[in-house]
Parts: sequence; structure tokens; C-alpha cells
Amino acid sequence: MEIADTYYSKDEYVETASGNKVSRHTVLCGSQNIVLNGKVIVQSGAIIRGDLANVRTGRYCVIGKDSVIRPPYKQFSKGIAFFPMHIGDHVFVGEGAVVSAATIGSCVYIGKNAIIGRRCVLKDCCVIEDGAVLPPETTVSSYMRYTARGTIEGGQGNPYFVPAAMQDEMINYTKSFYEHFVRTPAPAS
Amino acid sequence: MSFMQPSPVKYACSCGILNPINKLFFCRHCPKLHCGFCVTHEIESHFCSNCLENIPSTEAKHKKNCCANCFDCPCCQHTLSARASTVPVVRKSEESKDVKEPKDGDSTGEATPPVPASSKPSAVPTTKKMYYLSCLSCRWTTRDVGIPDQGVATGTWPDNECLYQARFNALVEYFQAVVLQEKQEKLEFMRRKAPKQHKFPSLTDRTGLTVSLIRRQIGWNDKVPKAKAVITPAESTSEVEGLPANIFTEQPNLRNVTTIAQRHSQPADQPTAVGSLYPQRRSLWIKRSLRCRQCEHNLIKPEYHPTSIKYRIQLFASYHVPEVVMVRCEQPLVPGKSNAILLKLTNPTMYDMTIRLLTAAPPEDAQVSAETTRVVKEEPISSSPLLKTVGITLSRQNSTREVKREVIDASNAEIVPLESEFVLSQRDDSKEFDEYVQLPTEEPKFIVWRKGNKVLVRLQFTPAEELAFGTDVVLGFFMQYTYVNTVTNASEKKEPTTHALHSRVFITAGATEQKAT
Repeated sequence: MEIADTYYSKDEYVETASGNKVSRHTVLCGSQNIVLNGKVIVQSGAIIRGDLANVRTGRYCVIGKDSVIRPPYKQFSKGIAFFPMHIGDHVFVGEGAVVSAATIGSCVYIGKNAIIGRRCVLKDCCVIEDGAVLPPETTVSSYMRYTARGTIEGGQGNPYFVPAAMQDEMINYTKSFYEHFVRTPAPAS
Repeated sequence: MSFMQPSPVKYACSCGILNPINKLFFCRHCPKLHCGFCVTHEIESHFCSNCLENIPSTEAKHKKNCCANCFDCPCCQHTLSARASTVPVVRKSEESKDVKEPKDGDSTGEATPPVPASSKPSAVPTTKKMYYLSCLSCRWTTRDVGIPDQGVATGTWPDNECLYQARFNALVEYFQAVVLQEKQEKLEFMRRKAPKQHKFPSLTDRTGLTVSLIRRQIGWNDKVPKAKAVITPAESTSEVEGLPANIFTEQPNLRNVTTIAQRHSQPADQPTAVGSLYPQRRSLWIKRSLRCRQCEHNLIKPEYHPTSIKYRIQLFASYHVPEVVMVRCEQPLVPGKSNAILLKLTNPTMYDMTIRLLTAAPPEDAQVSAETTRVVKEEPISSSPLLKTVGITLSRQNSTREVKREVIDASNAEIVPLESEFVLSQRDDSKEFDEYVQLPTEEPKFIVWRKGNKVLVRLQFTPAEELAFGTDVVLGFFMQYTYVNTVTNASEKKEPTTHALHSRVFITAGATEQKAT
């Protein structure tokens, strides 16, 4: 199914020179610590906590509505420390997701309302189902699918859970999402 | 709309099952579509999904397909993580002194067992790191069940041996010896019957006896002892122990009773009390390679390394078969009312394709030729007539015979076939960056739009008259396309050959709406 066009108003979104489209209705704390590497869409209501630590995303990422990107922390005997967060290319973060992972690889799909605990590691080409809750320090390796029931299934070459061509699927999906995320045409005068 | 949702466009696999294109593979040698159901699945490599360590298959077998370092929570089956706690180490002379340990992180507030004093005679009290395992999902820790803390973070946790481990090991040993003997007898038999040895040892080796096999093949004497292990058969008893007395007097506390899942995750002893749960070694995961059952060529072969997402062989259908994407229907679907659907077709190959959409199967049936090649292929495997009569081949055999399944024609709409064929130009990645210029070419009427290797086609159809309200309208058609194959089975022909292939495509256009009156 072809992705339908999503329209945004010119007043709401800021488009940068590198093609990032960032809604004005977002909370970007510590914006000097946030690096969006180009063609990234940050939809309205999203929160990125750059004040805690650096947040860096790759190209063609989609940060969905009302999602929270929050760098992970680790507790030591002398207090806590925050760690920078790296997100790869072609990552989709669904609506209302709370992401506190240490690293997210490329071509990762995070479903709606998923909660990624602190210091999780999501390798390339993995899928987090809608509403899944990942306990802290979970590793989801490539081509694995973390279900809402809390189990991990799939694996590279297993055609039933994560598509074998997940990389191409995600590249196509995020690219076409970006292409179909268009400004509302000006009313004909 | 996300790609995670079921696709409305389905292709019929050569085995007759309908699948979206991302679950299909294309064998270039047959050339046919295959799905996960009609291919052979093979283990490519073993790895631990938590520590991402690649484990060779022999080692995996030796470790009972478990990771040496990672543990699963016996309570919730999530991965356990090691927590550190610093413990002051007392000097040898003050061994009896009480140890109080400050803990970091989320501690359970329990006292740790006394720490063995370090042997080095230092005057200043030093601290030492001790580790315990903790589940961050359900907060279970190894301290809950009284497992002493370890000095090393990973690997040193002892296995819990169940009562009948020795008996189990003896049985395993015995049956391995039995299998070994059977194998030797078979080998002996084969040697007497057939002079020719097979090139490949069996891939389904149960005992790891390939070394001994090779030893025998080159004529060395086998070192495996002939002496059979003796086992005592199990004996049944009529005396059953009575229930303990406290079961009648004490109130059961269901919080201390394990769940079925917890018992199954600890199959050796299957504890009934929460107190005897023990960290379980994490089972390994595999990478699979898929192989075509007809020609035994690989369809998918992933890289060995667990973190790699690349493939050494990747014959996805989306790389070879034109992809049909449903864009939209022009009008609401009403039974018996003519409508049109817009389809986007994409050519993923490096050659131009000529495509026809047909309502009936093309006269020239490609499947017949594929069937004949299969028969030819089967001949050289069992070249020796003796082997054939004996029925032993060391080559891979399909455990299941394929049942020819007819594609269920689920279509319930009349399609107006396109009046002519059309060409879908090759994929060119550099075109993405070019200026788009509409060339003034003569296009058939049904082509709405064309850019690079993509074309938007308007297909007219009429949903069947008798469809009830709310039923899905399914369009079914045959898509015939030319496919340029760069690999050929015949070695003398080097230039690519062109096939006219077809696949059946079914599109669920949507549910019907109320008939306008």
C-alpha cells in the first residue's frame, strides 16, 4: 500500500538546510546537544532531552508524535551519569514511544507506545512491536522482533517475523514517508 | 499506513500459498517464486542474542546450545544482568569480624554470605567487587534464592545439577554408543555393497562422529572402543511415598509456588517452590539460510557474524519480480458497478521489462519446463543403481514430499484486461537525482504516469453483482513479465537468457459499500 500524503502547515514546521523538518510544537531541551543528520522529521509533541546528554540521529529518521527521546543513565555508587544516545539511519519511532536506549542501529522500527528502558541496545534491522515494554539493559539483536508480550522472536533468514529484506523495506519506508510528508499547498487565490 | 500492516497485494507462490512480496524469494535457477514454506531451512550459524557472540556449531553442541556467559531469569525468562557490589575485605587475622557491605544500585537489602578473606597480608583494608545476577524486569536476584555472590562477573556461576544427572549421562553415553555401532554397521554394509564412496559426510550427524568416519575412510583403524556401556533398565515400583504431613495442616501460599512457564524453563528438575529457582543458561539463536528444494541452490545465505545484517546470497522476490503496489480505487466499491484501481508497478532489475496483465494463464506454461529440469536434476544424485536399490544416499533428502497445491482463486471481480503490453524501463539509481522531464512519448491510454522504473497503471474492474455489503473485493490477474536471467544452468551459454514468466497477483481492494439506490 502506498503511503498517503501527510500534510503540514508552513507555520508549524521548520525546515532546515539539510532537509530536517521539525515541528514548532516540540520540546527540544539543550538543542545545542541534538544533532539531526538530515532529512529527519520530528513531529509535533515530541520531546528530545538534549540537556541530559548528546542525542545524535542519522538520516531519514522519523520521530513520531508525542514520543520522548531521553538519553540513558547509569547509577553509580557516587550518583548517576547520563550517556549520549546514538540513533542510526532510517529509524522510525512510533507515536507515544518512550526511548531511553543507549544505541539504536540503522533500519529499526519502533512501534506506537513502545517503551524502551534505559541502556537498551537495539541492533540494526530489529523491530519493536506496538506497545512493547523493554526492561532496562535489554539487547535486541538484528532481525529480531520484540513482541508486546515480552518475548523475542525471529532471526536473520527467518521469513516469518522480520522481513528478510528489512534493510530495503525500512529505507523505502522512511524515504517515502519523507517524500509524502509535504507542506499543505497554498490555497488558490 | 505502515509497512508492518498486512499488504493488500499478494503473490501466489509456486507452492500455491499467497504471500506479500516481502515474504517471497525468487530462485534464479528454476526460475520460480518460493516462500518460507516451500524451501529448506538450514542453520547457518549459532549466536547468543544477548552478548552477540558467534559460537561454532560444534561448540554449540558441546554446550547444549546454551550461551556460557548469559543467563535467563527463572522467574520471567528475561535476561539477567550482573550487578556489582563492593565488599570490604578483612585481613586474615580478623577473619571473624563481621562484614557489612555497602551496596550500589537497587539493592534488595539482604545480607550477603560471609566473604572469604584474601590471602595477601595487607595492612590496609581493601575492597573487593562481588557480583550477583539481577533481573531488571521482575527484580529477581540470585540473592533471593541464596546463591552466593561471585568474584567474576560472568561465567563462574555453577550449574545446578539435578538428582538424576548421572543416570541421564549414562543413558546418553549408552545411546551414543548404540548409534555409533549402527553407523559402523551401515558403513561396513555400504563398503561391501558399493565400492564408490560418497564425497560428503552426512549433515545430520547426531554424534559428532565425522572424525571417526574420516579415519575409517582413509583406512586407519578406529579408536572408538568396542566395549558397550552397560545400563541398568529403569524399574517400576509399586511403593509410592505418601504425602508429607504438613500438606494437610499448613495453608498453601500460592506466591511460593512456581508457574507452569517457570517449571518448563527449568526442565531438569521442574521445581514447585519459588525458592529452588535457579538462573538458566540462555539458549542460542540461529541464523538461517534458505535453499530451494528443487535445484538446491541457496536463496538466502546470511553473513556469519551475529552483528552483520548483510547477506552473501540474497534472492528476494522484490529484487527480481516487478512489484505491484496498490495506490487507491477511484470510486467507492459498489457491487456490480464499474470501477478502476490505480496500481504502481516497479521494475527492480537492471533490464527493461515487458509486462502484460492477463485474466487467464498464458498459454505457454513455464511450470512444465521447470518440472522436466527437476527430473533431470534428480538423476545424477543417485548415480549408482545399487545405492538406489538400497535406498541410502548421503545427499540431502526432503523429509516431506511436496504436495502440489492449486492456487485458490479468490477473486470476485471482473477485470477489463489491458489492451496492450507495456515496457517498464530498467532501474537506474542515478535517475533519482536527475531532473524529471516528461518525454513526449506515445503512451497507451491506461498509463497514468511514468517515472524511471515506475509506472502508474489504471485497471478497470467491476465487483461481482452478488457481493454482500462489507465483503472484501479481491482482484486476481496474471502478470506476465520478461525476466532476463544472468545465470544459466547450462555452462556453455554465457549470454543472459530472457524468460517470459508470470505470477498470479491478488489484490484486496477493500470492502464493498452499500449499493447506491
